[in-house]
Amino acid sequence: MRHLRKYLSLAKASLEIIFVYRAGFLVNQIGSIFYVVAMFYLWQVIFLGKAGNLGYFTWPQMKAYLLIAFLLNSLMTWFDEWQMGQDIREGRVATDLARPVDFQVKRFAEAVGPVPFELTSALCIGAIVAVAFGGIAFPSDPAHLALFVLSAALATLLKFAFIYCVSMIAFWTTGMNGIQNARFAIQSIFSGALIPLVFFPDWLRAIASVLPFQSMVSTPALTYLGTMDGPTTALMIGIQVAWAVALLLLGRLVWRSAVKAVTINGG
Amino acid sequence: MALIEASGLTKKFRQAVKEPGLVGSLKHFFTRQYKDKLAVDHIDLSVEAGESVAYLGPNGAGKSTTIKMLTGILVPTSGTLIVDGLVPHLRRQQNARNIGVVFGQRTTLWWDIPVVESFNLARDIYDIPAKRYKKNLAEFTELLGLAEFMNIPAGKVSLGQRMRADLCMALLHDPKLLYLDEPTIGLDIAVKDSIRKFVRRQVDERGVTVMLTTHDLGDIEDICNRIVIIDKGRIIHDGDLKALKDNYARDRVIHFQLARPPVSMDPICAGLPMCDVESDGLALSVRFDRFKFAAGEIAAAVMDHVEVVDFKIDEPEVEDLIRKVYLGQLSLTAPETAAALEPAVASEA
Repeated sequence: MRHLRKYLSLAKASLEIIFVYRAGFLVNQIGSIFYVVAMFYLWQVIFLGKAGNLGYFTWPQMKAYLLIAFLLNSLMTWFDEWQMGQDIREGRVATDLARPVDFQVKRFAEAVGPVPFELTSALCIGAIVAVAFGGIAFPSDPAHLALFVLSAALATLLKFAFIYCVSMIAFWTTGMNGIQNARFAIQSIFSGALIPLVFFPDWLRAIASVLPFQSMVSTPALTYLGTMDGPTTALMIGIQVAWAVALLLLGRLVWRSAVKAVTINGG
Repeated sequence: MALIEASGLTKKFRQAVKEPGLVGSLKHFFTRQYKDKLAVDHIDLSVEAGESVAYLGPNGAGKSTTIKMLTGILVPTSGTLIVDGLVPHLRRQQNARNIGVVFGQRTTLWWDIPVVESFNLARDIYDIPAKRYKKNLAEFTELLGLAEFMNIPAGKVSLGQRMRADLCMALLHDPKLLYLDEPTIGLDIAVKDSIRKFVRRQVDERGVTVMLTTHDLGDIEDICNRIVIIDKGRIIHDGDLKALKDNYARDRVIHFQLARPPVSMDPICAGLPMCDVESDGLALSVRFDRFKFAAGEIAAAVMDHVEVVDFKIDEPEVEDLIRKVYLGQLSLTAPETAAALEPAVASEA
């Protein structure tokens, strides 16, 4: 309980900081509106050409898929490799280490803090876009919706764990900008955020299935749509849990050895 | 047992060695070469509760590395370190509750939120009892004059205000130990003064143990009782400030302004054995050992022979002393540290 309070306070402070940088947040939101609208038009053209059904998805399902991808990408945008890398390289992490907090949990609290706000904003934008494009598919079964919420939460946790691991590269290199861009590009493709994985050729889908990225977008989106049967859904959510746990632990491990081996600059 | 107990404490870093230019970069890309650097080299240090220690040394001497090991941020390569019964890097979080840290070069406040909210975060992070927190915050606000910028984000206050707030932040949870890393860097004289007074007060009234690194010798004289000097990772002096002055800052200089040039220097010099006498026209200065002579004796001896219009006395400066140590012009071989020093001298040869 005691521990919870300190991390809650850190999360709250992090949420407060988003309001300080509201202009930046707003510009970001406007950018993502353009992006999601562009995606809708692009897929609309494809679906209309095929009479509204591509085999795996109907057009209303595809619209729901795109909005879920947009929603998930809108969360935890304030936690990235670049910022973590700066903190590591410039020795700001020394301040964190001089406090009675767990470094990874602190970072998680700060990443999660703005999520309620990001979520609200993304839901509003999503609702407007959904209405503008004539509605989206809803889950046929309320259980799918509940499982989707769980799966989306796991996807967000996994995203944190993954970015945290990648950030550790900052201990050994300087080019965090490039690494972040590369991570985002790879994630966009293999998570299914750009193109649903079912449209991939077999070999590419095989690669995607062994990577953690599908757990970040594809799994929660398909859970929402209810296109997977019960056992498959359970398996896919199990894979999400496994990746999240594995990467959280890996992050802790790398952090511990990095701190031991590498100088913390400055101070 | 002492509050800080270090023995044979050593930190070795691996530094990448890169030849200059594109070719060097390419070579480095394929065959990495490293060189070990001993940042801290077998230091023994024992600090009792309630002491205030100035930890000095030229840039790169190993001061910050030592402090980082004390805070548990860095893991020692070898040797033992115990701070208040804990091994800092193994019990980093618990150790953090016992210490307060102020880095002059960087703030521990949250940049974007009002200063008072950083304090509230400290309350939650360190789990400070509400009553205690209120009392401490009220006291520090008063002593450090924080009220006027309490509701302004740390990023928007002046450096002097920020440092004062940082000090408050470091002490809210009643730490036993306070590490100050260049706490007055870049501050104006008035702020420096108020910070020094405040820290000294914490030592005197709350019994806080202070470990201070600084390049500003005013900090030392106002805050510290003990001086530890480190160079090239080794401690080259450890003793109290007064002893340092007594042992090495023995020279005082009296400058006389004379009514007319002295006819001959011989009788003056004869009256001042074991002193350095310098004369230039109407100016005459005598350098003497303040333990052998009183200033009055010197003045009397001079005035026997010439008519003095005015005079002033230069006191020995710690600053001078430490500058000489850094430059290698003075080796502080106090009897108790002489044995420990020998290997250092050998390795430098």
